[in-house]
Amino acid sequence: MKLVRWFVLLAYLALAAAPLAWMALSSLKRRDDTIAPHAKFLPASSAVDDSASPWFEATLAAYRDLGAVHAGAQESFLGHLGSSVVIGLLSTVASVALGTCCAYGFSRFRVPGAKDWLFFVLSTRFLPPLAVVVPVLIMYRALDLQGTHLGLIVLYTVFNLSLAVWLMKGFLDEIPRAFEEAALVDGYSRGQAFLRVVLPEARTGMAVTAVFCLISAWNEYGFAMTLNSSGAVTVPAYFAGLQGNIEGMPWPQIAAGALVFVAPITVFTVLVRKSLLRGMTFGTIKQ
Amino acid sequence: MNSSAQTGRGLAWALVGPTLALLVAFNIFPLVYNIVSSFTNAELIGGAWRSVGGANYARVFEDELFAGALRRTALFVVCAVSVELALGFVLALTLQRDFKGKQVVLTTLLIPMMLSPAVMGLYWNLVLNGNYGVVNQALSALGFDPPQWLTDRDYKFWSILLIDVWMWTPFMMLIALAGLNSIPTSIYEAAQIDRASPWKVFTRITLPMCAPVLGLAVLFRATDALKQFDLVMAVTGPNDAATQTLSTLLYQVVFRDGSVGLGAAFSCVILVLVIALATVFTRYIDRVQSKDVNA
Repeated sequence: MKLVRWFVLLAYLALAAAPLAWMALSSLKRRDDTIAPHAKFLPASSAVDDSASPWFEATLAAYRDLGAVHAGAQESFLGHLGSSVVIGLLSTVASVALGTCCAYGFSRFRVPGAKDWLFFVLSTRFLPPLAVVVPVLIMYRALDLQGTHLGLIVLYTVFNLSLAVWLMKGFLDEIPRAFEEAALVDGYSRGQAFLRVVLPEARTGMAVTAVFCLISAWNEYGFAMTLNSSGAVTVPAYFAGLQGNIEGMPWPQIAAGALVFVAPITVFTVLVRKSLLRGMTFGTIKQ
Repeated sequence: MNSSAQTGRGLAWALVGPTLALLVAFNIFPLVYNIVSSFTNAELIGGAWRSVGGANYARVFEDELFAGALRRTALFVVCAVSVELALGFVLALTLQRDFKGKQVVLTTLLIPMMLSPAVMGLYWNLVLNGNYGVVNQALSALGFDPPQWLTDRDYKFWSILLIDVWMWTPFMMLIALAGLNSIPTSIYEAAQIDRASPWKVFTRITLPMCAPVLGLAVLFRATDALKQFDLVMAVTGPNDAATQTLSTLLYQVVFRDGSVGLGAAFSCVILVLVIALATVFTRYIDRVQSKDVNA
């Protein structure tokens, strides 16, 4: 039984990790080696002449090329990475700020219809982006927000509010009310009690919420490719746009770029590993 | 007392108001716009609208295109959820006991679900390519005759499903593991005293006690899989008869054909489906949460 257990676990681990390992190898190749009819899976430090050999010459050229502009794109990978960073960070800050205030209101005050409002907030997350994107596009055309950083920042902020409100409500509910009551007795105003007593206690929760908002903005594709097909194009939309380009897919650069793009997410995953379940289920399951 | 209750209420609305206002604006405006334009011949670029009555809805209900996308999406949701649930549950069982390095293994397993589906989907094109993809080279080396995963009509859909399973099995595993960990060991000890067979322990204790959280997991995955867009776009593009889902068909109708009115009618039909599912979902969460309070 124990043997079966280990076999299943290790087999799955190997299969699941293989695509990522292959990606790392591909990022060290030249383009011809990525599409060679004989798979090249062993990096070598010098040139390899034999085309049937599993060895390939490892090079960092793909990483150096990340600043290059490919056919069919307006900017280099690094330019798009910049857009992703700006849009991801600013929308995260806004979502967490708004979401924390809203969650505090629901957590500590009697809001009429609170339960219905909370479920309305959650249900906004179920809408397929493609079913609401045209009206948003019309609105953004009128406001001149199409293709701008600001447009996607606002949209991702709104899109992530359901996540921020639900997660923060869970975290705030766990902070004892006695803390604020003591502060109020000491002469703090409601606002001061919130800023000086509740927020410091909620720091961990806010950090976890921020990570999940950032990841979902970072990975978003549907809105990004329809609203910002030019101008502030984020990385997922940029990569998708490379498909069908006349020079063929620049696989080593794609692998290198994808690794650079997913590296921060991997680091964040490790950092919030204890709260992953909570974050992925909008706080409905607490570990 | 009365005035302090009133400032309390004012403060409450000041806190929740901005968020609710934004959500209402970004959901109600599109809803109204979709309903209105669904009865017109609106197009993506310019042109005055003209009422066409229920013609768009008639097309949505009669054209095989829409029924096909709905069927395919339903098949995708059912397959993705059940395969990921089964696989995730098996993995959770292998991780139930503590061992050295468990945290590292667990975190490594969870990484795929955090990555961008659009970027990873694109990359899977290289892995699954029929001519030079590493999967087919490995299969050939083992003596199989590998199929064209991404271009063969009979395989494309399942290739997308495979990528989805790769990305989302960890999510099911994580939830199943939480369910398993929440079962008190005293129940297992009692079963041992009663000499219950391992199979009986599994079907009478493990499964039923995990069921509420697994239900939540199924609903989360189902609502997400229903929106499937990124992977289909990355593997086949929006207009492939073998893989067209609700979202990619919407993209094709609105952004490639420019038929906003028809797309709006289709969106409204999808929204009714989503709202029905969301209602089931929120009721379920409500039930599970109030049970937690009682426990």
